[in-house]
Amino acid sequence: MQKITRRGLMKLGIASGAILTTGGMFKTNALAGSIKLEAGGKDFSPATGTERKMIPSACWNCVTRDAMIGFVEDGRLVKLEGQPNSIRGLGKICAKGAAGINQLYDPDRVLYPMKRAGKRGEGKWKRISWDEALTELGGRLKKLRDEGHPEKFMFHYGRMKGSSSKIVGIFLDAYGTGTKGNHTSICEGGKWTAQELTWGKHYDNWDFDNTKYILNFGSNVLSAHTNHIPTSQRLVSAMVERGVKMVTFDVRLSNTAARSTEWVPVKPGQDGAVVLAMCREIMNAGLYDKDFFKFIKATENPDATTDEKVAAIKAHLAQYTPEWAEKISGVPAAKIKSIALEFAKAKPAVVISYRGAVAHYNGNDTERAVQMLAAITGNIDNPGGRVRPAGNKWKSPKGPENKPKSKKLNLADGFKGQAAYPTHHINHQILKVIKDGKAGRPDIYMWYCYTPVYANGECQENIDILKDENLMPYNVCINAYYDESAALADLILPNPSYLEWWDWEDHVSPKQIPEYYIRQPFVKPLGESRDFKDVVCDLAERMGFPLGFKTAEEFVKVSCDTTPGIKEAGGFEYMKANGVWHDPKAKPKYFGYKKEVKADALKEEGVILDEATGVYWNWKKSTAKSEAEAKEMGYTKTKNALKGYVGQKIGDMVYEGFKPDGVNKSGYFELFSELLKIKNFPALPTYVPIPEHEKMGPKDLVLTTYKVSVQIHSRSTNCKWLTEMYHDNPAKINPISANPLGIKTGDAIKVKSQIGEIKTTAEVTEEVIPGIVAISHHLGHWEYGRYASGNKAPMAGDDDPDLKHKWWDSYGVHPNWIIPNSPDPINGQQRWMDTVVQVTKA
Amino acid sequence: MSEKVDVTRRKMVKTAGMVAAGVAAAGLIPAVKASAAGEKAPRWVMVFDLRRCIGCRACTVACKAEYDVPLGAWNTVVNEEVVGKYPNTKKPFLPIRCNHCEGNEADNVPPCVKNCPEYPKERQKFETPDGKTIRYRDGATYKRPDGLILIKNEYCTGCGKCIEACPYGARAFNKRIKSGKDTSKNGITKCSSCQHRIDQGVAPACVNICQGRARIFGDLNDPDSEVSKLAKEFELIKNRDKSTLLPAEKTVPMNFYVDPDNALNTKMARKKYEKMASYSCKVNG
Repeated sequence: MQKITRRGLMKLGIASGAILTTGGMFKTNALAGSIKLEAGGKDFSPATGTERKMIPSACWNCVTRDAMIGFVEDGRLVKLEGQPNSIRGLGKICAKGAAGINQLYDPDRVLYPMKRAGKRGEGKWKRISWDEALTELGGRLKKLRDEGHPEKFMFHYGRMKGSSSKIVGIFLDAYGTGTKGNHTSICEGGKWTAQELTWGKHYDNWDFDNTKYILNFGSNVLSAHTNHIPTSQRLVSAMVERGVKMVTFDVRLSNTAARSTEWVPVKPGQDGAVVLAMCREIMNAGLYDKDFFKFIKATENPDATTDEKVAAIKAHLAQYTPEWAEKISGVPAAKIKSIALEFAKAKPAVVISYRGAVAHYNGNDTERAVQMLAAITGNIDNPGGRVRPAGNKWKSPKGPENKPKSKKLNLADGFKGQAAYPTHHINHQILKVIKDGKAGRPDIYMWYCYTPVYANGECQENIDILKDENLMPYNVCINAYYDESAALADLILPNPSYLEWWDWEDHVSPKQIPEYYIRQPFVKPLGESRDFKDVVCDLAERMGFPLGFKTAEEFVKVSCDTTPGIKEAGGFEYMKANGVWHDPKAKPKYFGYKKEVKADALKEEGVILDEATGVYWNWKKSTAKSEAEAKEMGYTKTKNALKGYVGQKIGDMVYEGFKPDGVNKSGYFELFSELLKIKNFPALPTYVPIPEHEKMGPKDLVLTTYKVSVQIHSRSTNCKWLTEMYHDNPAKINPISANPLGIKTGDAIKVKSQIGEIKTTAEVTEEVIPGIVAISHHLGHWEYGRYASGNKAPMAGDDDPDLKHKWWDSYGVHPNWIIPNSPDPINGQQRWMDTVVQVTKA
Repeated sequence: MSEKVDVTRRKMVKTAGMVAAGVAAAGLIPAVKASAAGEKAPRWVMVFDLRRCIGCRACTVACKAEYDVPLGAWNTVVNEEVVGKYPNTKKPFLPIRCNHCEGNEADNVPPCVKNCPEYPKERQKFETPDGKTIRYRDGATYKRPDGLILIKNEYCTGCGKCIEACPYGARAFNKRIKSGKDTSKNGITKCSSCQHRIDQGVAPACVNICQGRARIFGDLNDPDSEVSKLAKEFELIKNRDKSTLLPAEKTVPMNFYVDPDNALNTKMARKKYEKMASYSCKVNG
């Protein structure tokens, strides 16, 4: 942020600051440097010049959750900007964040509790009071709980992070249901599982500030990412200011590919072949990092020497020649070789990956191969590499002491045997599992910040199940907007927009120094909307198990006033005024795995050495009933053994290593996975063909989906400023594929998969590879209000002068109608990018 | 007949009105000379560093919010065009806003001002940061001595001639406001460089939000400013033909582009536009 001195003198009309700089040697350039503009932090009304009131808060429009500031004029939020003092966001937000105001003032917002008045899905609603709503819902919830069946209350959430996750989690635990669903498998759950299998805790931070080279497999980081603003702006700076090269492998010329030094087109789902061939070239050229191999597990033997490990990896990779990879991926062998060697020599270098590479049948091992590429070159947890994030440590209220033992229905992990390690669950199968009924069915299905109908594949089946009162007796929707799922609810509880609620937040900082920040309301919740976090406090009170705090604001206040560092800085009052805090003395966190475990920790009661893996672990923290049982079962096969993980023995030393999280892996960086071997999957990262793609006919295409820079997956099309720019999404086809089908730009076409057909328009373009059809997944809403779909919500108002200036009447198509809900066999990730389709003129 | 006379007379007055401000058209004159002339306003310009533009459109949204620009109009957009044959496809981005033109070399009056029937109007004083005064004339659309092309809606008749005159399509009717002099017509919306912010020492909204830092705004009369340094490094002033939009129009635009990938040599950059909405606002992703 640019600072100005003599700020008071800066008003141009009265500026006389030049006096201070005149005289001396710079007389002829008296004005030089006399007007330095501040980057932000203040805003004024263009009409009156009056300063607008600034309030610090945090975004929520995507999971990045940037710290931001907003400006209020006459009681109305008018403008959002980045938080200048944030070490993550550096004063920036994106288009989607800035357009969040449109959601607050969306004329189609649900502002009052609504009860279904007609048949389910018929669109007839009756406004009711909060008391009536909570009496009804609370009564049903209490009845289930009193009958000993709290598990028949299912809670399915989309985005729920930071204090929202804590507060709602406390409520669900205190109520006693473990029947929860999340949404991670339709995002990047598979990537996380692959990381848990290799380096333990999930999430990879990309250290663009310090890197010298970037390899990108299937991430559109410049348009959308789980840590978009903090990472993408650093990526631009790295490329322009330091000349860092970036090579992007993608099926599509995304904005990221367009801005990369080089775009390398790759066939869908074949990134893994390229990565494995690169690993082979690097190993054979001797460009691997010998020191890091000490921490790698490459064979069954935990005591293998580096030479043995190198030999094992080389032997495994021998099959993956660049020529072989060229045939599969379409990437020229020479290109694979040259990029591999450049990457290996450019240390530190970072390899990044996302859904383009991992939302496939073979996504688990593609991500493991990417992890391998980073590991063999020593680009793990180092400045400039692929880094494990530094976490926040908020202190917060724990809720009631005597919580019941939770009961749950097993609905979230798909059908038996569908995936080996669905550590982030298989939520896209939940409605199917409910329909099947063998694992039971919830009496109350409640969803929050989530749209089961639209966000998953197979929209029609989702609708059919949610509509069926025999399968789903009582649907409760928590939402601020009338979306496709809300339309199938029995009760809608009006949540405010995120610009009207409290939270503390904790997302990853690319600085490797944790940043603490809060979200505070810019305005009071509109209408009778009530933050769901406050509602659960109320519900708990009504059912007789108060949570120990009455509102989200109180929860955030106590957290700020008790968390070390923030407390000393001034607690809640400090955070309300400043929005963000980080420890100014903190040093960036790298190389955590190299830390030695203290001898005392190994002597604690219950700590034993598992010979098979070299892991020291405390069996008492697992489900083992005795030391003998723990030893007999072993670390890998004992349930919850990871909870007792202490350290990894390597030679004569014990290191913190790559601590497990989610699965019982060792403390090594596991290229060799005993856990996968147990489940009959290849232990080392291996190329696996995609079954459907093996059987494709000459006219078949692969459907690929993507995000654009100005829409957020399923929930931003009610932002008029975004949808004004993006409200149509013709299917993109390369001329090489379109010409034989006689398809030209503007033609009406049908896109047909094994489960259905959509009609759309073709755009014949050089920006996608031959063999695919690319359709973005933001549009094609049939509810969500007038800006999104042209359809007015049944309870909508008309309080937006722009309604009469809306000029578009196309709303695009949604590809999910024809994408099956189908999991990666290892991790359960929804296979968004594998669908085979036929395209014909309509 | 009388119309012709009017035009001529107006032209003369205009030229006279611009004399004082002409001194401040210092972007075209080396800084030392301008300073020697006695008074010097800043010369606000924008440099678009296209190496840094990622097509995110945050600028467009920030501007919408800053001014509450109604649907159907924009003050700034980012254009994009797919060029080349697969697999050598490229996609340059081209951010656009009012060029805050200096005006042709003969009279230093940009076409929007020249064609405004409500210019010139009252005498105004512009006080420079060194405490001196530059006199200029305001109007429904006018140029301030620091180079900003501004609108005073109270004079505006909503005739739309400024919209027609601008080859960049930088102007549009604001369907939510009435023109000051004729309430049957709409007023005009265009980029003011966030005059209300810079006058109080804060960068324009689009610059504030630009995560790529592709929009660099500053004083070309200050040799130490980032825009001056970029102008020097990339010879932006010297090579106007390669650093500005539609140089043949001779409007002397004061938005400059650092353009290593030839975005200015695309169809989207070579075309004249009627209004901002006629740019391809299409977002590819």
